[in-house]
Amino acid sequence: MHRRNRGTAMTRNVLGLFRDPDSALAAAGRLKGAGFERPELMSPIPIHGVEEVLGPKKSVIKRFTLVGGLLGAISGFTLAAWTAVLYVHPTGGRPIITLPPFLIITYEMTILFGILATVLGFLISARFPAIRERIYVPETAVDRFAVVVACSSDDLLQRAESILHEAGAEEVRRITEGDS
Amino acid sequence: MQTEVRQARFADVNDDVVRSLVVTGRNYYIALGIAGFVTLTCFFFPWFYQLYYGIGAAGMNSPTVWGTYLASFIFWIGLSHSGTLLSCVLHLTNSEWRKAMYRSAEAMTFFSLFVAITMVMVHIGRPWFIHWAAPYPNQMGLWPNFRSPLMFDVMAIMTYLTGSGIFIYMGAIPDFAAVRDRTTGWRHHLYVLLSLGWRGTDKEWHRLGWAYTFLAVLIIPLAVSVHSIVSWDFALSIVPGLHQTIFAPYFVVGAIYSGTAGIVTVMFVLRKYMNFEHYITKLHFDNLGKLLLLLSLLWTYINMLELFTGWFSGTSTEYEQLKYKLTGFYAPLYWEMILFCAVAPLLLISRKFRTSFVPMLILSIAINIGMYTERFLIVATTLSRQYLPGSWRVYVPSLVEISILVGSLALFVTLFLLFVKIFPSISIYEIKETMDAPKKQGDRHDT
Amino acid sequence: MNFIDRFMASWRKYRKPGYYEEFDYAWTMTIDLDRCTGCGACVTACQAENNIPIVGEKELGRGREMQWIRIERYWEGEYPNAKLSFIPMLCQHCDAAPCETVCPVSATYHNQDGLNTQIYNRCIGTRSCAVYCPYEVRYFNYYDHHWDAPLEQQLNPDVTVREKGVMEKCTFCVQRIRQAKDHAKDDGRRRVKDGEVQPACVQTCPSEAMTFGDRKDANSVVAKKMNDPRAYHVLEETNTLPSVVYLKKVSANAD
Repeated sequence: MHRRNRGTAMTRNVLGLFRDPDSALAAAGRLKGAGFERPELMSPIPIHGVEEVLGPKKSVIKRFTLVGGLLGAISGFTLAAWTAVLYVHPTGGRPIITLPPFLIITYEMTILFGILATVLGFLISARFPAIRERIYVPETAVDRFAVVVACSSDDLLQRAESILHEAGAEEVRRITEGDS
Repeated sequence: MQTEVRQARFADVNDDVVRSLVVTGRNYYIALGIAGFVTLTCFFFPWFYQLYYGIGAAGMNSPTVWGTYLASFIFWIGLSHSGTLLSCVLHLTNSEWRKAMYRSAEAMTFFSLFVAITMVMVHIGRPWFIHWAAPYPNQMGLWPNFRSPLMFDVMAIMTYLTGSGIFIYMGAIPDFAAVRDRTTGWRHHLYVLLSLGWRGTDKEWHRLGWAYTFLAVLIIPLAVSVHSIVSWDFALSIVPGLHQTIFAPYFVVGAIYSGTAGIVTVMFVLRKYMNFEHYITKLHFDNLGKLLLLLSLLWTYINMLELFTGWFSGTSTEYEQLKYKLTGFYAPLYWEMILFCAVAPLLLISRKFRTSFVPMLILSIAINIGMYTERFLIVATTLSRQYLPGSWRVYVPSLVEISILVGSLALFVTLFLLFVKIFPSISIYEIKETMDAPKKQGDRHDT
Repeated sequence: MNFIDRFMASWRKYRKPGYYEEFDYAWTMTIDLDRCTGCGACVTACQAENNIPIVGEKELGRGREMQWIRIERYWEGEYPNAKLSFIPMLCQHCDAAPCETVCPVSATYHNQDGLNTQIYNRCIGTRSCAVYCPYEVRYFNYYDHHWDAPLEQQLNPDVTVREKGVMEKCTFCVQRIRQAKDHAKDDGRRRVKDGEVQPACVQTCPSEAMTFGDRKDANSVVAKKMNDPRAYHVLEETNTLPSVVYLKKVSANAD
């Protein structure tokens, strides 16, 4: 990934690596309790119980799915009915706008658009694909759990480091955004 | 102590999967070579011969205008059903044993759909105009006929192809991230692109979890509707033997049945040749065997229903169809189908049978042979005996058709072999979740 | 309000079951089985008029016949007491045709003359129409066909030659109907008179077993024959509403 120097003030972060998810979660809770910005947890598997410790997250994906499904239903029926009327081909003694076949088309398009809208919602709400460089440690894809918190001053950095050490971090690093 | 054990095993999962992707033995190249060669000679060359000379190269005649191509199409769509559908259902029921096998099962779905679409192109008389079945604005002002069951097919299969492709990709994003870190060269660049910059933050996991669940909820009714729609290609006719309301459930049950048998075959192959013995265990085969037994009993029931309604109708065309199926020209095939799909799976009642690998493999292949015969019989017996006895005629597949059938299987194998070397064929993060087994979900603070 | 009225009128029209407008003509054919001798002249005439290919002995042996009208024969009993019944079977041009609904590209549809049409250059060859037809009157071109010299001079220039992969069937000699309608229009915007147009089979039948006309015209021969007590449709129970009326054979030896 290409490196970009921001030029202006670079955010400094403290990262603590843990061996199991519970201590990582407890450390994140302590950091939040100590008044830091919401820490980020990086892990190879989803950690359960994050919302209780760090506060609830809303999911906008459901709105995307709903809107997508409705759009799909409308466009499915419109596609079938309007094209039947554009160039009329009477078939089989059925009406030009027949409901059972067109409702099947509507159903399929509802699901198609619902699926595509869910993907779009996922990409937008999780901010994918990542264009700018972000903090990442490869160990979190294998077997380590990381807690990352942003600090705006030096003594905040030290406080964060001490909290992480107290919570049982295997390794604590300082990361400046802009480095890899 | 427990955390150290977990740590060693987590890293092992990454190692195993990366090794399965990167380290290629000679056996793999031989297998790929054979599959590719068979695809070329048994699928593409006969197909080009048929394109040049006409559908006459196949064995179809009037009135059996549909033959093995359509039976294969339905077979491959059926095989595609179990992967994604089963994966979605088991995801929503939070089952553990799904986690080792669902990635390959979903890949099986995707490639079966692909092969099924190729069979459509082989089947129709003028495939160079197949784009007319797609709704696009054109200078003729013509649109496809949406009242046609074949058009429902087009929409449903396109949706299912998109849906299952998206589903398998979404589930694999964290795995792409994991293998991106340990690979080099073209693989690294490919995985960098495919992983979209996944870092594994809690926010990303949360969003992925929701999106994945929504997709599973959407795909289950979709999968049920796809094979119902395929069955309506037949059931919406007024021809005896095809015009039955049982067709939609019959086909869906048959699809899940043959798809599950396909999963058993694929699991056996993966376990043996990709060194995944730790991840695909007797438990998986046991559970798959139970599911197969259930589906076999359902399938037998539906067949008995068909027999009953045919017999009950007295001396009608349905009764004639029934007599022809059981005692006519194709009777040996019918009884072979009953043997493989209704009688042999009763062996699954024994737990010992379910947990032995090679017998399960043989049974799963037998079930799929029986299910292919079922699709073939639906096409051949019903078209051979319709209303007017003056047009009764027998259909025998030609060499070209048999060769294309074999070639389609080889095409599927080739695609799947390519898949295991590019996609992580076992889900890394879900296996790791099973390794956390001592803690139940939501019960996080107890050690 | 004008827009809403027009929309509602269109909606009612498009939701109407059956044909969405009134037919211009409703071409009907009657076949009197008492007069039919099973000679097959209609088959030959159809082949000559519509450029039907000769598939050859080998292909016929494989079951790939190509006759838009065929004489179906049914034998009962054994020699020397065998009885033969036969019936000419052609496309019935059903008003509720099962073949029309299934074509994915609308290559077959019902036109304003009440005919079930087949558009050769739109057909992609899925052959589902042939599966759905209960009368088995649709024929598929399994190969490209050739006419060796000098047979190509016999081809009718009013009718196309179909390529491989395309479905075809009886059209009630639509080229003759079209010509008759054009002629009637040139002649002062009148309707086609009864008896002015006949398909090749009707024209050729030596015993005049077949008649053809517009059943909307109450004075036409077909309208009168449809009211004959012997009149019936083949496979009436399938509700396809065919346009071909058969007159039952009254046999002297019937039990």
